[in-house]
Amino acid sequence: MKRDLYKKVDAVRKQGSIVSSNTSTIPLASLLEEMPESFRRDFLITHFFNPPRYMRLLELVAGPTTREDATAEVRDFCDRALGKGVVVCKDTPGFIGNRIGVYWLQCAALEAMRQGLTVEEADAVAGRPLGIPKTGVFGLLDLVGIDLMPHIMVSMDSLLGADDAMREYFEVPDLVQKMIADGYTGRKGKGGFYRLQRDGGKRVKQAIDLASGEYRDAGKAALASVDAAKSGGVRALMEHPDKGGAYAWRIMAKTLCYAASLVPEIADDIVAVDEAMKLGYNWTQGPFELIDALGAAWFTGRLREQGEPVPELLEKVGEGSFYRIADGRRQHFGTDGAYHDVTRPAGVELLADVKLRAQPLATNGSASLWDVGDGVVCLEFHSKMNAIDTDILEMIGKALAIVASGYKGLVIYNEGTNFSVGANLGLMIFAANTAAWNDIESTVRAGQQAYMALKHAPFPVVGAPSGMALGGGCEVLLHCDAVEAHAETYMGLVEVGVGLIPGWGGCKELLLRWWQDSRRPGGPMPAISKAFETISMAMVSTSAAHARRLRFLRQDDGIVMNRDRVLASAKARVLALADDYAPAQAPQPALPGATAKVALEMAVGGFRRLGKASDYDAVIAGALADVLSGGDTDITETVDEHALLDAERRAFMSLVKRPQTLARVEHMLETGKPLRN
Amino acid sequence: MPAYTAPLEDMRFVVHELLADERLQSLPGNEEFSADVLDAVLEEAARFCASVLQPLNRSGDEQGCLFENGVVRTPDGFKDAYREFAAGGWTGLAADNDYGGQGLPETMDALVNEMLCASNLSFAIYPGLSHGAYRLIRRYASEAQRNAWLPPLVEGRWSGTMCLTEPQCGTDLGLIRTHATPRGDDVFALNGAKCFISAGEHDLTENILHLVLARTPDAPPGTGGLSVFLVPKFTINADGTLGPRNGITCGNIEHKMGLNASATCTLNFDDAQGFLVGGLHQGMRVMFTMMNGARLAVALHGIGIAEAAYQGAVAYARERRQGRALDGPRSPEQAADSILVHPDVRRMLLGMRSQIEGARALSTWVAARYVHAQRNPDAQARDDAHDLVSLLTPILKAYCTDMGSEAANLGVQIYGGHGYIREHGMEQLVRDARVCQIYEGANGVQAMDLVGRKLPAHAGRYLRRFFQPVAAFIADNSDNGDLTEFVAPLSEAFALLQKATRWIAENGTRDPNEAGAAASEYLRLFALVAMAFMWARMARIALASESKNKFYRGKLATARFYMQRVLPQTASLYACIVAGGSSIADFEDEAF
Repeated sequence: MKRDLYKKVDAVRKQGSIVSSNTSTIPLASLLEEMPESFRRDFLITHFFNPPRYMRLLELVAGPTTREDATAEVRDFCDRALGKGVVVCKDTPGFIGNRIGVYWLQCAALEAMRQGLTVEEADAVAGRPLGIPKTGVFGLLDLVGIDLMPHIMVSMDSLLGADDAMREYFEVPDLVQKMIADGYTGRKGKGGFYRLQRDGGKRVKQAIDLASGEYRDAGKAALASVDAAKSGGVRALMEHPDKGGAYAWRIMAKTLCYAASLVPEIADDIVAVDEAMKLGYNWTQGPFELIDALGAAWFTGRLREQGEPVPELLEKVGEGSFYRIADGRRQHFGTDGAYHDVTRPAGVELLADVKLRAQPLATNGSASLWDVGDGVVCLEFHSKMNAIDTDILEMIGKALAIVASGYKGLVIYNEGTNFSVGANLGLMIFAANTAAWNDIESTVRAGQQAYMALKHAPFPVVGAPSGMALGGGCEVLLHCDAVEAHAETYMGLVEVGVGLIPGWGGCKELLLRWWQDSRRPGGPMPAISKAFETISMAMVSTSAAHARRLRFLRQDDGIVMNRDRVLASAKARVLALADDYAPAQAPQPALPGATAKVALEMAVGGFRRLGKASDYDAVIAGALADVLSGGDTDITETVDEHALLDAERRAFMSLVKRPQTLARVEHMLETGKPLRN
Repeated sequence: MPAYTAPLEDMRFVVHELLADERLQSLPGNEEFSADVLDAVLEEAARFCASVLQPLNRSGDEQGCLFENGVVRTPDGFKDAYREFAAGGWTGLAADNDYGGQGLPETMDALVNEMLCASNLSFAIYPGLSHGAYRLIRRYASEAQRNAWLPPLVEGRWSGTMCLTEPQCGTDLGLIRTHATPRGDDVFALNGAKCFISAGEHDLTENILHLVLARTPDAPPGTGGLSVFLVPKFTINADGTLGPRNGITCGNIEHKMGLNASATCTLNFDDAQGFLVGGLHQGMRVMFTMMNGARLAVALHGIGIAEAAYQGAVAYARERRQGRALDGPRSPEQAADSILVHPDVRRMLLGMRSQIEGARALSTWVAARYVHAQRNPDAQARDDAHDLVSLLTPILKAYCTDMGSEAANLGVQIYGGHGYIREHGMEQLVRDARVCQIYEGANGVQAMDLVGRKLPAHAGRYLRRFFQPVAAFIADNSDNGDLTEFVAPLSEAFALLQKATRWIAENGTRDPNEAGAAASEYLRLFALVAMAFMWARMARIALASESKNKFYRGKLATARFYMQRVLPQTASLYACIVAGGSSIADFEDEAF
């Protein structure tokens, strides 16, 4: 079918245009049978992973006849324009990700059944403790569709060699066949290894009994080995004598050996394998990094003890490790037995690499400053969930002094999953519960001062977020001269969810953003209303592009598709701004005061009558309205930044003392969900 | 033997003035308990304690309980006293009307309890445990069980116990071995041995209801596999009459340092018939109802003993003449002045008094909050009150019992050699008070409960119910010039408590050993600040009242002493806490 399509495409395409296929298993050679040389030269495989927006892996397979410049062009396009982590693979079945991923999945599912683990137990082991997503094995099968399993097995059967180790796990168990026949194909079907049952009003999670095929209420797996892994890591898990430990050892020994036996068959080096598993299956460590974590010698020793064959590459690495740091550079073990530098595509800069070769300029428990070259300093958050606390505020102070002493500018960037989830609520509620109001107020003040100092610093400050930038994490970005955001950046001032309003200049900055909007209709109300709507509804952008529409980002703030290129973009932005830099002057709007407040409150009253806002939502909205309308002012006067900050602080302090606010904070901390009270 | 007179004036002050804002009479079920009614109850209790219980205290101690052939006999006079106690309705003072009780608020129970403990702590143990059993059964038993068991318990014909401890397990209840085998219809056969069971066997009541923590077959290990069973001494027939003796025998009674008239028993269960109360494997949750109540009751043991010691010491200090006042004779006509003139004797007496009255105010406040937690029609108000009771329970238990021991020792000190000999009964108070620091959770365990459970609960929410009212009180009264001498020290100590709490929250989450090392000092710091809060409130009332009134003048003077001479301990406690636990953790085990 594909070949027919290619013929049609070839007839109409411009000569020299590049054609690629997203096939997941069909070898390139077989796709190109019957195709002319001209087509072959322009053809390659670009294998995406689902869902393509979030899965960063792109496997690139070029044939022997593919033009080298076509490969380079596609590679660069996928990297920069699509933000992909491009891994070059050889033309072998399943390429890298699915070859190892499918092996792992089959092995883990079948071994769980053979060793008599429950689905919950298997997922508890073959998940988080191994640095694998918590869906584990059965949860993942439910997600991708159980019916896919036999199809893939058939396809692998036809493509893999007769002695391939995957054949040991080709079996499709009766239980799985019956589930598929009955429509239990996973989340897209009636359910899978797990299902949600309605029991009265509430939904009950059930799991299938792997022996009987009957559903029962799902429980939490209680395995001492999983607990042991929490403090002792993967090795403690695999050394544990319970069935979880035995299972972990079995499936990982099998999978890691399989991976080790496939280099250089499927890829030139181990780096490609590790990258593929991390970017395509969301493992936190690739197979070879896992072996290093276990200790290659320990791993090999244990294989020998149990009479398991040891792959050649493992024999070769011997007492050594697959990765090492030499002269501040990361090196990998090659199939030639020598170490080679791990190279990055041009223009990719990572803080992780900087850390290998340098000490921080300053550091404390929550943040560090790094010299990232070219006269640029990077402020990195590394507190728990990158929550902003007094240590971070202190480090901002240090950054201001250090940058001013001879650097060109500052980048605020980190490589955590989320840029920052906001202020540390746990410390704040503890202070509130002990009535330490002065502590809270001084923290609010300290944050306002730190962010103002960033905004008015005599050098450029560029924010470089990825993932969530909420609350105080969003506010710090609002105070930057420019932002280079990863495309997947979720920004929002979400304070009302915990009964508060932004207190570190968020209200002020968003108001001024709308105020400065060149397309704003006349009068102050449109700007006030927009800021009010965005904050009172705790709107969070679903992407960096959406953040622009919400004005969390300016029109000229950059959006970077590739996560690994964010730092370099931010650095470039600092350097571009650094010439003749002068801090921007903040506008001083004339705000209407009480009349605007009344208008906003009337709108809230409407929501309240419709049941869309609770009584307490209205109280919070009232405090917000007070700040955004300028407070005790009228249209004949202008309001400066300090007055707006004072208003924010007053409103924040009045809300933080209310029991409903503390109930919201407590609920958020205990459940992770907002409370509507 | 020191005489004991219940401190009725102070008790009335606490209930009617200090805790007026609690508006207990407005709560459902409390409508008829006017000040007059409550005063009458207190007066009658005071009379009973002074005339019946207190005279039996020393003789009971001398004679002790007698164990013979599996039977325990209480000392002479105890049976009659108990009969009179039950006939007076005291066994059901705070029990529901539905089950024949008086339905009085727990504040009354607390104050009457203090009187019982002050006059005869050994005696007070027996009905005290019955009330604990009442509360547990009332909350967790089925309706049929409640109807069968509660009326005789409330009437005082039956009594109760709590059976937790076994030879191999005290604090660590996960090690319990006593097991319960199902015999159908929620009936179980219990086998095993319990020890240190107060009131486990005695001759005061016709039946004893033992609430036993035991393990069922196939139960999960640890405390999660425990359940509570009611095991009666005599089986109970369907019509409520008593059947044959159950398979439970008293193996012996302990020979103890003090509380000699309270029977501390070893109990053996041999296929004893027991009834599950409050759900399988829910034992810890169920038993904690009894234990939390018992912890508050034990705080009153400490206050009662301290009050008895104080009264004895004051009487003796007035009459004992030794030496002269440092600034010249006060009673030149006598050969010597009374020792009351000596600053150090006065220091000891005021130390006792200021802490007793502070603790009485604090424990009665908590009792009032408990009433709200039970009876306030508003769910939020009930929850708030429950938070405060939970927070302050370990603090009261540990602080008041430490204070009881300390005060009993000061009582002996003021008596000098006459305190050390048995004749005057002061040394008995030392011996009786000592165990209060140990039972119902040793005081170190209370401190761990405070920092390990109560502080982090619900992101620190329990703290809010104490800290925010104190902060509000300080803010409201900062302009009151006359009150400055009380509010300023409170404010200063409160700031230390805030800082210490933050220190523990930050360092304890990082390293649990830090929280463990700070726990006892933190509990004491907390207690001192809580009492300072009570003293500042009491001082405000006294200031606003008639200054010529001796009682109010005494209050103000005592408040002043507390603020100047007791509260400053908070500074050293704070310094200990923030010094951290490394000097404790790093000491080599072999070097001990």
